[in-house]
Amino acid sequence: MSLDPVQVMKRQDSLPKACPTASNGDSKASWDDSKDIHENVGSTKKPKPGPVRRARKVEGGIFFPKPENAVTIAVSSRVLFHTEIEQKVFEQKGIEEYLRYQVEHENEPFAPGPAFPLVKALETVNCHLRELYPESEELFDIVLVTYNHANVGIRLINTINYHNLFIERFCMTGGSSPIGYLKALHTNLYLSADTEKVQEALAEGIAAATMFMSEKQTEVSETQLRVAFDGDAVLFSDESERIFKAHGLDKFFEHERENENTLLDHGPLKGFLEVLGKIQKKFYAKGQRLHCPIRTYLVTSRSAASSGIRALKTLRAWGLETDEALFLAGAPKGPMLEKIRPHIYFDDQMFHVEGAVEMGAIAAHVPYGIAQKYPHKKSSNTGK
Amino acid sequence: MDDEKNCTGPLIIALQYNDLFDLDSMSASTNTDDALPKGRAVTFIKAVQIVNERLVEQKETESLLFEVILIAKECSEEIKMKIVESVKYYGLEIGKFFFCKKEELINTLQSNKVKLFLSTDRDDVCEALHTGIPAALLYDQCDDHVLKVIISGDSIGFTEDSLDSLSDFGFSETQIETFKAAKICMKEFAVLIGQMRRRFGRENSPLCICVLTAWGSTNVCASALKTLRGWGLDVDEAFCLAGAPCSPILAVVKPHILWDCGLHNMRDLATQS
Repeated sequence: MSLDPVQVMKRQDSLPKACPTASNGDSKASWDDSKDIHENVGSTKKPKPGPVRRARKVEGGIFFPKPENAVTIAVSSRVLFHTEIEQKVFEQKGIEEYLRYQVEHENEPFAPGPAFPLVKALETVNCHLRELYPESEELFDIVLVTYNHANVGIRLINTINYHNLFIERFCMTGGSSPIGYLKALHTNLYLSADTEKVQEALAEGIAAATMFMSEKQTEVSETQLRVAFDGDAVLFSDESERIFKAHGLDKFFEHERENENTLLDHGPLKGFLEVLGKIQKKFYAKGQRLHCPIRTYLVTSRSAASSGIRALKTLRAWGLETDEALFLAGAPKGPMLEKIRPHIYFDDQMFHVEGAVEMGAIAAHVPYGIAQKYPHKKSSNTGK
Repeated sequence: MDDEKNCTGPLIIALQYNDLFDLDSMSASTNTDDALPKGRAVTFIKAVQIVNERLVEQKETESLLFEVILIAKECSEEIKMKIVESVKYYGLEIGKFFFCKKEELINTLQSNKVKLFLSTDRDDVCEALHTGIPAALLYDQCDDHVLKVIISGDSIGFTEDSLDSLSDFGFSETQIETFKAAKICMKEFAVLIGQMRRRFGRENSPLCICVLTAWGSTNVCASALKTLRGWGLDVDEAFCLAGAPCSPILAVVKPHILWDCGLHNMRDLATQS
């Protein structure tokens, strides 16, 4: 019994340019076989896919990557899609009206939200990974984890199909906390619009950040996933941040100099950089370092000549690296992000996140550490 | 929507006494005057009683209520007495008791118009399904405040033909037949539980219905949700796992009733007692 081909093609504007058109010849029918470009049929929707994922047979079972083997990225519906209108209905008219509204508009797909470009970029990387390692489960697995009731599920699934996203796992918790499910799915990164849930996740040791919809959206690369991280209180702990906030800049410099050879403690997103690094190494192993479809950046207010050294030494000691390290010595981050155009930039300070979002960069707030207690005063540049 | 016309309550659920009381934990030293030790089904019955209370609060003459009957196979007279006493002791509302022989189980279920047979024994569940009796697993739940039901999205969402294709993926004939049997049996239960669910609002409901799609794609799940909605059942929570192990998710949901149909990874559920 044959199953329908899963997908004919993606929409033209989101076609990953470097993705191979031929199947990898694997008779076990990998998921991507039928992303074969049957020459631009011009359709923008997937034809009705087969009922079961044609996943590879691994160890006698049928598994889309096992959660513990894959890099699991959980996104909420509010960051994957643009749901501002519905959110207002919920806030102003309550849940019953909200659900009724959703069902009424069930066949209208949502527009993309702030995490959408990231998800598309992750799928591009998966494309390359499957080509190089057809049997491997070390892929990105994107899961939708939402507070929504299952009623909204049909609209969400319709939207996923409409945008040709490869999301096959979801948890719609109908109002219960998503945290248990995040753990059950071995989540490596959780993105949500709700700061409280993100904080809960961070408290459980799951890398998490809040994303915001921005008015302006600059274009991001379709061929290379770019992830940028702030240093303190994101990759590293907030210990130095604390000194700075409590005692000022000079004390901060002094402390960093004295402790240059002491490693910083790890921050909430260190683990995520680590898994990105593992995936990058898979490309390097196949001679793709120069054209690696993942690029990571450290964008820190520390300065290269002084306090930056400790950051670099720490990363090296952890066996981690970023492709680029940008030491801004206190200069605003916006222009740098404008050049990088990351699919996501993690920062612990709302001030920086807002600034980035204003300039059209995709930024996510990591509500961790001392910066949450001291909202930044919009004063002069503070060099670190 | 006029539910009164559709209602054909009560919703009769059958349990076996060895799920209600944990006979294995009784030792020689157990005082024979004590009530039997509680088994897994006690929390379930408590949750069911809360739903009934809330239904009656809303409407005194409500006829769509849960009714629990207890079946005991092959019992000595002594045990029969203890069962009845223990039920009273724990304040469990059991409608009827049936003491019968092992072979009579299926007949007893059929003649009493049981809308759901709950058991911790997967073989019993499968056998019942194959004879057309709606049956599900009584799972290892914790909560007695909200009655949680998980319906199999695979069973409802797959079409008959696609179910056959599952043999390509290592499911046996028998397993697939169990599936198909469950698909048919589930409908009546779903309709009734749907009506019951609608007596409550979205929030603060003592009844929570979930759909779990373990193998099917998101489209299978969407198909299941639409079908259930067509039967009048608005689902609260939905999970689509695309082959990921179920037990971690089930450990978070903690359902009382699990329509399993044997489709879940057998290795996975083997760890559940």
